[in-house]
Amino acid sequence: MHIAEGFLPAAHAAGWALAAAPFVVHGARAVTREVRERPEATLLLGAAGAFTFVLSAIKLPSITGSSSHPTGTGAGAILFRPPVMALLGTVVLLFQALLLAHGGLTTLGANAFAFAVVGPWAAYGSYRLVRRLGGGLLPGVFVGTVLADLATYVTTSVQLALAFPDATGGIAGALVKFLGVFAFTQVPLAIGEGLLAVLLFRVLTVNARPELERLGVLRPAADQEAAA
Amino acid sequence: MTGLAVDDAAWRSAWRVRSPADKLALCVGLVLCALVLPPWPGAVLVGAVAVGLALGPARVPAGTFLRAIRWPMAFLAVGALTAVVTLDGGIPGWAPDAAARAGELVGRALAGTSAVLLLATTTPMSDLLPELRRLRVPDAVVEIASVTYRMLFLLLAALGSVREAQTARMGWSTAGRSYRSAGMLAAAVLTRSWDRAHRMHEGLAGRGMETGLRVLPEARPSSPAFLASTAVLLAAVVAVTGAVR
Repeated sequence: MHIAEGFLPAAHAAGWALAAAPFVVHGARAVTREVRERPEATLLLGAAGAFTFVLSAIKLPSITGSSSHPTGTGAGAILFRPPVMALLGTVVLLFQALLLAHGGLTTLGANAFAFAVVGPWAAYGSYRLVRRLGGGLLPGVFVGTVLADLATYVTTSVQLALAFPDATGGIAGALVKFLGVFAFTQVPLAIGEGLLAVLLFRVLTVNARPELERLGVLRPAADQEAAA
Repeated sequence: MTGLAVDDAAWRSAWRVRSPADKLALCVGLVLCALVLPPWPGAVLVGAVAVGLALGPARVPAGTFLRAIRWPMAFLAVGALTAVVTLDGGIPGWAPDAAARAGELVGRALAGTSAVLLLATTTPMSDLLPELRRLRVPDAVVEIASVTYRMLFLLLAALGSVREAQTARMGWSTAGRSYRSAGMLAAAVLTRSWDRAHRMHEGLAGRGMETGLRVLPEARPSSPAFLASTAVLLAAVVAVTGAVR
């Protein structure tokens, strides 16, 4: 869930912006280098940003009855790597703030830290781990996407708990409250988005194999045949 | 019509012709006032000014403004309630000053959101993105964001038409089918976005694109009167807040 404009105190908003900045700047440097080497990357990365934004317009049926919209950062991190997603995710969050009023400008740093930094790294790290342990593409995609959403939701809850400690339970008590309240929408969303990502990658492996090979998600078919 | 009501409003707004830098100064000023001034009466004043300017001189449709604010309202209601409920030994109860704290939180956030919406409903993203260059954002990033903005609407249109076709074939009739359709929908949109990007690159390469997608920005000179009014308005908000406190 996006933290709305003005919800975080000024010091927290500034602190989270500072925390997200190095990752976003690193992403911007990586992207600038990529564009200098391959000018067509501008269009491909722009398309990836647009896809991430549009993915959040797909409504998933949810078990708890709440409508849930995918965040798209898990699948994005597996396809385009976390540094690129740190930048693209922040651009998409800016667009969501200004085109949909989801999130805000002063809370952009906090939202970027949860959605564009923690989520993508959780996705990519767990995806690589599953692949290394011998899991296939689809189990890796499922675990990566689910953990991206859960990590984003836990990070946002921590941000809210730090800003609004409980009167008796302190920060830990507040964290329990925020985790509990948002679990109703965020846990089904994580599982739903995991399933969606598996279906997405299954269609992509059939219909867009060359693109997946170019992105390094799949090894070239010739290698696999040679290995088999 | 583009499918994004806030964007439609921005293109039609009476303030569309004003300099984006002027509007940024006004709206960022209001956002900062909402953030740092005491919520009473600071947030109320900022909210009133932002809504008044949007519905008045900028002629943004009230329905668009209200509909846009619905989403943050849901988060605010849940978030503010959770912040002021306390779990004393596992039993939920109200924290001290719960009503006042919830009011402050919601007031501040609504004022800030209104100020951001004033910017969003009067300034299309394609006017705002070139302003990022002045904030030392690298050219490559601004160009990627510009491509994202322009491709967004093509993909939203593709999403709508694929979903319509799926719905007509009972693709969204049960939860299982809905998931299958959602997966195919996402894949269709992603492969279309790649295809579109490749074709755009080929077209641009054929026209000699080497150093990026520079376009001439429309000249929208800054208005000294608008900037002066902004300064007076922001000073008045600060002064009235200080006087009432």
